[in-house]
Amino acid sequence: MGLRNFFDRIEPQFVKGGKYEKYFPIYEMVESFLYTPKTVTTVAPHARSYIDMKRIMTYVVIATIPCILMGMYNVGLQTNVAIAEFGASGWRAAIIDMFGIGFNPANPLANILHGALYFLPIYIVTLVAGGIFEVIFATVRGHEVNEGFLVTSMLYALIMPASTPLWQVALGIIFGVVIGKEVFGGTGKNFLNPALTGRAFLYFAYPAQMSGDTIWTPVDGFSGATALSVGATDGYAALPERGIEWSDAFFGLIQGSIGETSTLACLIGLSFLLITKIANWRLIVGCLGGMIAFSTVLNLIGSDTNPMFNMPWYWHLVIGGYAFGLAFMVTEPVSASHTNTGRYIYGALIGFMVVMIRVINPAFPEGMMLAILFGNVFAPLIDYFVVQANIKRRAKRNV
Amino acid sequence: MSETNENKGFIRRFLDAPADSVGKTVFVAVALCLVASMIVSATAVALRPIQEVNKLKDKQVNILQVAGEYDPSANVTEAFGKFEPQVLEIATGTFTDQFDAATFDDRASADNPETSIALTDDPAGIGRQSKFVTVYLLRNEDGSLDKVILPVHGYGLWSTLYGFVALEENGNDIFGLQFYSHAETPGLGAEVDNPRWKSLWSGKKLSDENGELQITVAKAQPAAGAEFHVDALAGATLTSVGVDNLVRFWMGEAGYAPFLENLKAGDI
Amino acid sequence: MAQTKREMLIDPMVDNNPITLQVLGICSALAVTSSLQVALVMGIAVTLVTGFSSMFISMLRNQIPGSIRIIVQMVIIASLVIMVDQFLKAYAFDISKTLSVFVGLIITNCIVMGRAEAFAMKNPPIDSFIDGVGNGLGYTILLLVVGFFRELFGAGSLFGVTILETVNNGGWYVPNGMLLLPPSAFFVIGLIIWGVRAWKPEQVEEREYKIQSVEAH
Repeated sequence: MGLRNFFDRIEPQFVKGGKYEKYFPIYEMVESFLYTPKTVTTVAPHARSYIDMKRIMTYVVIATIPCILMGMYNVGLQTNVAIAEFGASGWRAAIIDMFGIGFNPANPLANILHGALYFLPIYIVTLVAGGIFEVIFATVRGHEVNEGFLVTSMLYALIMPASTPLWQVALGIIFGVVIGKEVFGGTGKNFLNPALTGRAFLYFAYPAQMSGDTIWTPVDGFSGATALSVGATDGYAALPERGIEWSDAFFGLIQGSIGETSTLACLIGLSFLLITKIANWRLIVGCLGGMIAFSTVLNLIGSDTNPMFNMPWYWHLVIGGYAFGLAFMVTEPVSASHTNTGRYIYGALIGFMVVMIRVINPAFPEGMMLAILFGNVFAPLIDYFVVQANIKRRAKRNV
Repeated sequence: MSETNENKGFIRRFLDAPADSVGKTVFVAVALCLVASMIVSATAVALRPIQEVNKLKDKQVNILQVAGEYDPSANVTEAFGKFEPQVLEIATGTFTDQFDAATFDDRASADNPETSIALTDDPAGIGRQSKFVTVYLLRNEDGSLDKVILPVHGYGLWSTLYGFVALEENGNDIFGLQFYSHAETPGLGAEVDNPRWKSLWSGKKLSDENGELQITVAKAQPAAGAEFHVDALAGATLTSVGVDNLVRFWMGEAGYAPFLENLKAGDI
Repeated sequence: MAQTKREMLIDPMVDNNPITLQVLGICSALAVTSSLQVALVMGIAVTLVTGFSSMFISMLRNQIPGSIRIIVQMVIIASLVIMVDQFLKAYAFDISKTLSVFVGLIITNCIVMGRAEAFAMKNPPIDSFIDGVGNGLGYTILLLVVGFFRELFGAGSLFGVTILETVNNGGWYVPNGMLLLPPSAFFVIGLIIWGVRAWKPEQVEEREYKIQSVEAH
């Protein structure tokens, strides 16, 4: 174990009093990424568990793998289909030509490779740009860089449209890390989901690159509406006519941000998180319940002028970012409610808001991002009332 | 001498009285309100004429701009003298002498039940439409018609957009379009003010040879051809739809169509 | 309060800035800072109103009955604001169009009321005037800083003069649309307060409570 020896040898220089004391967080980051931390809690209270933050974060990253694969496949597929019509250009095409793989949409390998050429640059830029700011804050504040950022950066990269300019990717993640997390004190103290904060920043700052019909498939001249915007203008009944069957939306062969199109992949990831007990099922029940209940109410009310009123819940589930948000964002433990009753309410609030924004707000076709951020803001308040209600109930019992 | 002393004594006594006494409270309140209201109304009255001129000039500048006659260095009032305001009766498409064109107020007219109609078919989202509007004619040196400037308005995403459309003398070629009042999203819908987008309107046609209204604001070019198509604003679908609706409404049957017919027939 | 007149004027600009330290007058700072020109006019208007209202209120301070003092202050402030509004409409029509209701809302600007109640009611007229102007200038400076970032990065221009040619006009700069929306001023002001407090740590408030570590047994 030469590496272990190396770490043991250089460690004294980084601990308090050492030469590079200031850079301890960087040392710690690399070391604890490679090895199990050897520090243990020394002050009360102790809670014994097989699980630590590092394992939670690693599991979440593992859970996103189906989404990554499906996302890369779908981006490649959409791009290759579009290229058949509009032609290929740019450095990605040059790389693909170099390997001689071609742009055949029927070849899954070609699709995944082409998708990877879009996903990987976004992901690498996210890691580098966000990572630099993580390290700066960790160094100045003297806390540790933790694996939370790996989750944030992965989720963030997956909710980007494939055509997002890389400088915008960098700007968004920096905003997410700084405003969404570090100003409030870092991981564990953030009340907003940093990945979504960054995405929301881009959405409002550069709407032309973040919404519309031309951004989802990165081919010049191609225009393809998302299922949500088709639904908003023509109603969900028009979706199959436009080539979007329910099964397409479920498997993820539609226009959308890289990782969010495939409901199936999101559900696989979600089951993994539920089995490992990282995601709390109450959040899921709440969020599904809120969405199904409110969309059904709107179905019953109906509307002649707004076709979105008639969209049934099983369509709401599979289009847009709902499934991805449900699996990876609603279940994020830090920004969600912390009480069990609160979790139902928190989930239901998000489920309700997402339908509300999608159906009733004319300016935003998709509502999952805003609904979750809205829920994040309300989570502490929900907890407060749940705790107060508990205190009151107990006080009554003891009179 | 003694009088002034007594007088002084009174003021002194008043000033020295406890500020919280009822009499003083009432006196201070009344006196302050009197003084304040006098100063405020004096300012308002004194400045009113200048403000009126400003408002008028602002409207005139917009009309000059849409007609492409605006020169920042020139005198606005003088430049505007070339324009001939007329009150148009929309239903008949003819000018009327019922009102004084220089002072006619379109918006007040739209609110007045006697001079307006409540719309049932209302794509522009304006609620009530005035039966009369002020239009402006620009004539060539020889007195022949050069351009007509027609006021339009309608609902976008967040707000009602007010503006003017300038048409060539044939009543079919658009010279320009300009909004002077709206509250659309900055950077998106508010790009209706972008000179590059406004310039797209120049040279477009309202109707095809069969007299069908074809002009449209859309992302994709319609079948009718490029000369009837203005590219929608990027990222501002609903504002673009709003502009499309309002232009088509005002240039359609419920709007200026009768007037444009007369214009084409050369009756104006 | 043994301040020199100079301190009275300078102090509210940085050390005791009404926005960054007292977090007053935020509402209008959100609304009028999307362009520098508008921010500047708004700042001047607020400075004039704060200065003169403080002076007039201070002149009357011994005669103002305690029971109606807030109303008296409001009447004086409101009259001044209406006058400013009328003058803007007469002599700076374009700017008054963009400022629209926000000039009228100077009446409710906490800075004006705050200085009247906290300073002018207890100090002589000239001091009050200087204090009012100082606070108004503190507000103006912050408005200009916020406006600088919002206009430069949101629209690519400063005082309406193009600095970064935007894509819509055929240039290279992709403007940040969020900076043109009012909520962005929250972020900018928040970051400025963060910066100022990092620079001058004495401005940081005491924590209301502390997380204490439990002694090991």
